[in-house]
Amino acid sequence: MGWRYATWSADHPLPIGRVERAPVGDRVNAGDVLAAGLMLATPTRLSGARRLGLEPDDLDRVLRVPVGAEIPARTVIARTGRRFARAVTAPHDGRVLQITADGDLYLAPVVGRWVIRSTLDGSVTRSDDAVVTVEGSAWGLGGFAAYGPDAVGELLLAVDSPSGELSPGRLDVRIGGRIVIGGARVSAEALTRAHACGIAGIVGGAVPAAGLRVVYDDGALVGGFATREDRPTVLSLIGFGAAALPRELFGPLKALAGSRAAIHTATARLFVFAPPDAIETATTAPSIAIAADYGGVRVVPADCAAAGEAEFASGVRAQAVRCADEVFPAANVRRVDEPR
Amino acid sequence: MTVSTGEPETPVEPSVVGLARHLRVALVYGRDARHRVLLSRVALAASLDAVLAVAADDRGSLVEVAQAFRDASPDAVLIACDGRELRRVAVALEALRLGCAFQRPRPTVHVVADARVGERLRPAANPFVLDVHADATAALVALRALRRSAQPDSVLRDELVEDAARALVASTGSSGLVVDVTETTTSCVLARAVGGIESVHLTRAGIGASVDRILAEVGADGVRRWLPWPIDAPALLERIYNRARWPGALPASELALAIEMAVARETIAAAVRAAERASIDVSELRAAPNMLVTGRAAGFPRPAETLLVLVDGLQPTGVVTVWREPDDGRAERLGLVVTVWGRRAAKLRFISAAGREEHRIQSGSLVRLPLAGDIDVTGAARGHGQAGPLGVLIDARGRPLPLPHRDAERLPVLVRWHQSAGAFPGKHP
Repeated sequence: MGWRYATWSADHPLPIGRVERAPVGDRVNAGDVLAAGLMLATPTRLSGARRLGLEPDDLDRVLRVPVGAEIPARTVIARTGRRFARAVTAPHDGRVLQITADGDLYLAPVVGRWVIRSTLDGSVTRSDDAVVTVEGSAWGLGGFAAYGPDAVGELLLAVDSPSGELSPGRLDVRIGGRIVIGGARVSAEALTRAHACGIAGIVGGAVPAAGLRVVYDDGALVGGFATREDRPTVLSLIGFGAAALPRELFGPLKALAGSRAAIHTATARLFVFAPPDAIETATTAPSIAIAADYGGVRVVPADCAAAGEAEFASGVRAQAVRCADEVFPAANVRRVDEPR
Repeated sequence: MTVSTGEPETPVEPSVVGLARHLRVALVYGRDARHRVLLSRVALAASLDAVLAVAADDRGSLVEVAQAFRDASPDAVLIACDGRELRRVAVALEALRLGCAFQRPRPTVHVVADARVGERLRPAANPFVLDVHADATAALVALRALRRSAQPDSVLRDELVEDAARALVASTGSSGLVVDVTETTTSCVLARAVGGIESVHLTRAGIGASVDRILAEVGADGVRRWLPWPIDAPALLERIYNRARWPGALPASELALAIEMAVARETIAAAVRAAERASIDVSELRAAPNMLVTGRAAGFPRPAETLLVLVDGLQPTGVVTVWREPDDGRAERLGLVVTVWGRRAAKLRFISAAGREEHRIQSGSLVRLPLAGDIDVTGAARGHGQAGPLGVLIDARGRPLPLPHRDAERLPVLVRWHQSAGAFPGKHP
């Protein structure tokens, strides 16, 4: 966590059925299509090498269409012989998916299409059937957990203060396509309304865990949930429940409003595409503490000092730190930019 | 005169104890239920995270299975089958190739079968590295080596827990069970007095970051039912989620401690359920006469809290002597647990150096008796053990534990149980 201008790397996993993808070295912007492909239904297994009287390894030699090609029904996929020809033809429209180890072929009907978009401005550093990786420079802010698909849009401030709650009333179709900056709490109502209004994503201090389970069902995992499905996108920066954003995080967010941004849900990170000198970041990161009953996470005063061993209400004896008038177990206080 | 200065000092070698590499595995098994059980046991014994299970006779789409492999991104694929199912398993391997051929590093394929079956699968497993293991033990050794590959000198925590179980048997002369609950894993390891060990190392099931599995299995209400104070499910979920994302956090309030205790009970219960699914005899685990609790569950501030978590989570049977050993503390004996059940009141006789006592125990109650030392138990339960600072805890609540569904009925019961055991001494009226 904590704002940092750096060169970041973002992986974009691809589903099965890739048709095209950006090659290594390509320059892309956030939101550009990195890869496109086909959604495939249950494939048909076609007898290949056996039918043609070939060894499995020789099937490649007699293919009339390459693996990965989209073909109409009755297309000759492979053929041998001249006078007494043997051929494998497609029984239906579809995509030649794979040649098996024993020389058969899979042909899968096409039921839809997908595209994967970049979440960074930069260049492609890895590109294969499994993943396309983009590396580029941007302002980055690591979060606590993110849910939903990756999102790209313009940053928009929708709260007046870092401790305010994002009101669903402030979300409407006029701000569709934007990434909205919420305050201390992003409710499930705000999340579903934002999705219905076409808002790209929400960034907030905290999201209620129960609300996440309503919106994402089984996907409401503790560590986040990156998906390609059409779901709302939310990035929680501090914790679950309610958590006012420290000014060291909220100030730059406010200053960067209007800039292009992206949420990379797999790494729970917000990228903002602005010049390196667009904001000034604090030299020291604020400290945050988990509440004694784990009910929330909040910013604690910067001047924390070791307070030796202490006994807490639970009966736990542990090394403690004193922050202003409060004593916390040392394990429950950490800097906001510490990796978790 | 010669004065002995004792044994020459041996240098202490520092060792790294940890969970080593978190190994994600996909299980592919044949139609025979024994294959599924075999793989489940290997996964539990080797502390593997089984992220995907593929039945070779499943008629699911190749594309769906391939996508599942790709999303699961396994480090290894475990296969158990016999010669009649090679064609079906080969289809699963085709799906693996479609899904993970470009994964970096590529998953390795481990076949637990005879060498001929393994060799016949080899062409279908191309381009993945395929290892054939003659039996589960060979697979276990190979997979543990794979976990340790990043830090070859490290000591796996699960091996340490197994050593502790063997040590418990060596010191007591009878079977011993070690229950270890950490932030991310829960282990139940039984070492038998006659030799042999039964290991259940459940990954992604601890009181910290890995609470997802517990929530998926029992939901927030499954955790909430153990709390002796009212709390609504959304508020509880927030606390569980915040704790999960804060590794190493310490419960500063009694509510936080109660939540950790509730999650610990459910992780132990989850480990027992996993053992049951893998056809491990859980009645043998529950009947072990000696039990040692380690890890975070042993670090609760009061011994009664550790004891209650063990008794509620594992639901032992018979007469059990319980110890605990926190990661940063010394081992201590907690007490003797005597389980009786039946619809009527039970009569128990305790014979110790201090004399002979007879108690009538009401069905459904949890009673603590301030007895000490070696104790012979006769009557409704029979056995022998050692009482500790908590004396003897008599559990007549029945099995499985009857927890009322309604808050108004359940909370007084839980408060009574906590009071009886001595947990949260300052909190109850």
